[in-house]
Amino acid sequence: MSVTIAHTDIGDLCSGSVFLATGGGGDPYVSQILVEQALKKHGAVELVLLADIPDDAFVVAIGEVGAPTVSLEQLPIGTECLDVVDRFEAWTGRKITHIVSFEVGGANSVIPLIAAAAKKIPLIDGDGMGRALPEAQMMTFAIEGVRPTPAVAVDYAGGATYFDTADTLLYERQIRNIAMAMGGMVFTAEHPMTANEARRAIVPGTISFALQIGQTLNGNYGNARQVEAPLKALFEHSDYGILKHLYTGKIVDINRKIVGGFDVGEATIESVGGRAPPMTLSIKNEFLVATVAGKVKASVPDLITMVDHETSSPINSERIHYGQRVTVFGIGCPPHYRTERALKVVAPRAFGFDFDYQPIDTL
Amino acid sequence: MRVGIDVGGTHTDAVILDGQAVIASTKVLTTQNVKDGVVNALDEILHESGVDRGKIDAVMIGTTQFTNAVIQRRELARTAIIRIALPSGELVPPMIDWPDDIAAELGRHTYMIHGGRTYDGFPIAPLSDEELDEAIDDIARKEIGLVAIAGVFSPSDPAQEEYVAARVRAKLPRVRVTASHSIGRMGLLERENAALLNASLLPLADMVVKSFAAALEDKQVECPFYISQNDGTLMSADFAAEFPALTFASGPTNSLRGASLLTDLDDAVVVDIGGTTSDIGVLQGGFPRQSNISIEVGGVRTNFRMPDIQAIGLGGGSIVRDEGSTIGPQSVGYRLVTESLVFGGDTLTATDIVVASGKADIGDHEKVAGLDASMVDKAVEKIHAMIDSGIDQMKSSRDPVPVILVGGGAVLISRSLKTASAVHRPEHSGVANAIGAANAQVGSETERIVSYRRIPRDTVLEEMTGELTSGLIRAGADPESVRIADIEETAISYLADESSRVRVKMVGDLSLVRRGKIQCR
Repeated sequence: MSVTIAHTDIGDLCSGSVFLATGGGGDPYVSQILVEQALKKHGAVELVLLADIPDDAFVVAIGEVGAPTVSLEQLPIGTECLDVVDRFEAWTGRKITHIVSFEVGGANSVIPLIAAAAKKIPLIDGDGMGRALPEAQMMTFAIEGVRPTPAVAVDYAGGATYFDTADTLLYERQIRNIAMAMGGMVFTAEHPMTANEARRAIVPGTISFALQIGQTLNGNYGNARQVEAPLKALFEHSDYGILKHLYTGKIVDINRKIVGGFDVGEATIESVGGRAPPMTLSIKNEFLVATVAGKVKASVPDLITMVDHETSSPINSERIHYGQRVTVFGIGCPPHYRTERALKVVAPRAFGFDFDYQPIDTL
Repeated sequence: MRVGIDVGGTHTDAVILDGQAVIASTKVLTTQNVKDGVVNALDEILHESGVDRGKIDAVMIGTTQFTNAVIQRRELARTAIIRIALPSGELVPPMIDWPDDIAAELGRHTYMIHGGRTYDGFPIAPLSDEELDEAIDDIARKEIGLVAIAGVFSPSDPAQEEYVAARVRAKLPRVRVTASHSIGRMGLLERENAALLNASLLPLADMVVKSFAAALEDKQVECPFYISQNDGTLMSADFAAEFPALTFASGPTNSLRGASLLTDLDDAVVVDIGGTTSDIGVLQGGFPRQSNISIEVGGVRTNFRMPDIQAIGLGGGSIVRDEGSTIGPQSVGYRLVTESLVFGGDTLTATDIVVASGKADIGDHEKVAGLDASMVDKAVEKIHAMIDSGIDQMKSSRDPVPVILVGGGAVLISRSLKTASAVHRPEHSGVANAIGAANAQVGSETERIVSYRRIPRDTVLEEMTGELTSGLIRAGADPESVRIADIEETAISYLADESSRVRVKMVGDLSLVRRGKIQCR
């Protein structure tokens, strides 16, 4: 059975992907405009189930790498995605048979659609995170042993950088530094995969799940309290397993800088009337840890998502500002991240926190 | 004593306040030239109160003229936009997401030139005078009188916008310019849109501000006058003429502030029922709850701070159909006085329903005597259910909340509301906007480039808020009332040492306003 994604789906897909982005992933507004243009021009994109890819598939991940705050100001040219596919194929001498998003969170859930539409390449329903996370070694591709390169990065000046390293940590250093040197954001084609690698390393079904979340958020117009029940039902019947209300309050402080090519900072939320102690969210592109009075309420790799309390629209960390009224939800992580191997790179200690991961359903 | 005036699309309201006592109030029709309406309103309140005009300390004016111009796509001037960003943003040109009708008013005169800076200050591309002059020459050829300018990362480094603005002004001395860094925050598309809307409103702003001045001169009211901004603070007339877009949403802000002052309630839901819509807003600590991230004005995305307002299509003129089960969103609007049944017309409106239910005495109740009683009851139920559902979406707790009803259509609510713990219908609610305007606050903003490596963030914020507080007290603010309205930090990584641009805005009540419940005489 073939499913397609049309330009009319993009609004919902964007809302759902910002929800899964846990504050990171980049605001998809500009990408949404570009993707809608591309889908109107080239037609709908075929969305392929991971289980349905042929054995001779050659899968490549496409997306943006960098600091999300930058893309609020410095817009893409709009053709980088096509350029990166062309350059990747020319360099490797191989045709890409399937495109996959490396991150379902934020702009990176829709950006691969530009290339998929223009190049008539099907998109796999899945991604390399099931959420958003800041670094390459945290992708399920890397955790499952997929080599990050050959990879190509296209920059705002229309130039390209080619990568050929077997080590994911080195690749992360290289791509991060290129992104920083080139205005904070580059478009990459990376993590080429065989069908077998793809079946093992891709978190399945996340694109269509993001679409469902978007439909729920946009279909039940109302505040976070009203949308909580339908969201809970949706997550309980998914690989994520659980969605919990963590906090409702007002942003009283947001402190954020670009450090080493990431948005790094902290947000403080105070309860209405100041009755409960405030919640602190630690940010590195994404919301990593939520604490109240020194107690951890949720942490990576579980998802921490912030929505505008009144409209339930999910908020990117770069869009947080003083005085916003918000609700914070905690969500279980996909099973790919619950293995010991995965937790080495995505648990709180991997981000420099001095405590172990405790699954949200035990907190 | 002070005068508050609200110039709306249909009515111009005015009040004279002595402290918090309403000495006189009036509601007259807004005139095409704005001035006559203000003159008429001033005439009425001065006459009614017999107040010596020399005793008036200040006139505060709120106006929806600029919001209405954008929403109704009228009196918007042809405006060009020069974006300094190429090659960045090539396929996302200015106005790409604008509704066609408003884009047509401004004309989609978009110019994209090379330039702008990366987040760390590196030039994206060299800014070429040749390319810029080509744009300026084309603007001259098309005889466009207004230019908006937006550059990538201009809030961090406005130099290129300023350079382009200076070159436009030098070559085209009669052209007026709005540079995006002077009006908007981070977010290129939203800031560019704000600059475009502002520039397109400049000719109207000139007319409106001059009309206000002329009306006051006409009535020999010689005190200073101020205009309300979207955040409920005041700006001078000169400033308003340069930044009319800053008045967007000052109407709802004033209305909510007025409702709070009339009832002495700090936390409540305010329902302003007009002829066509009901605007529902929320008071938190006496001030409007702000809306989130991106705000659309007439379908155009901007990043202004604005109150969170939910508009539902229910008002006194709403047309009733389907045996009372459908009300609005179509409305007879201002033609209520000719088209509704009670005024001899033949359209069944929400007003006719209230009169038929015996809860209001408007027009000729004989004209609705024959309406089917069960239909009337169903329609009354529906009206209450619509308002209840609107309040429920806006209120922030499960429990019922105090509800303040204002506006001419408040009579539509005659039964209890499920969502309301109490329903307040303050006297003078018809002029809540003008009362809100007369109680607007003073605001002050300061900006600094700091390195948190050298000075801790807390120390910086303490110093800045301290400076602002004493400045506001000198400007006449009541010390007790001074509070932080906004803190904004922009990392400017092109400077070493993790530098940030920090902007703090603080507000306070004017002491001459004296906080407290509005008293009615």
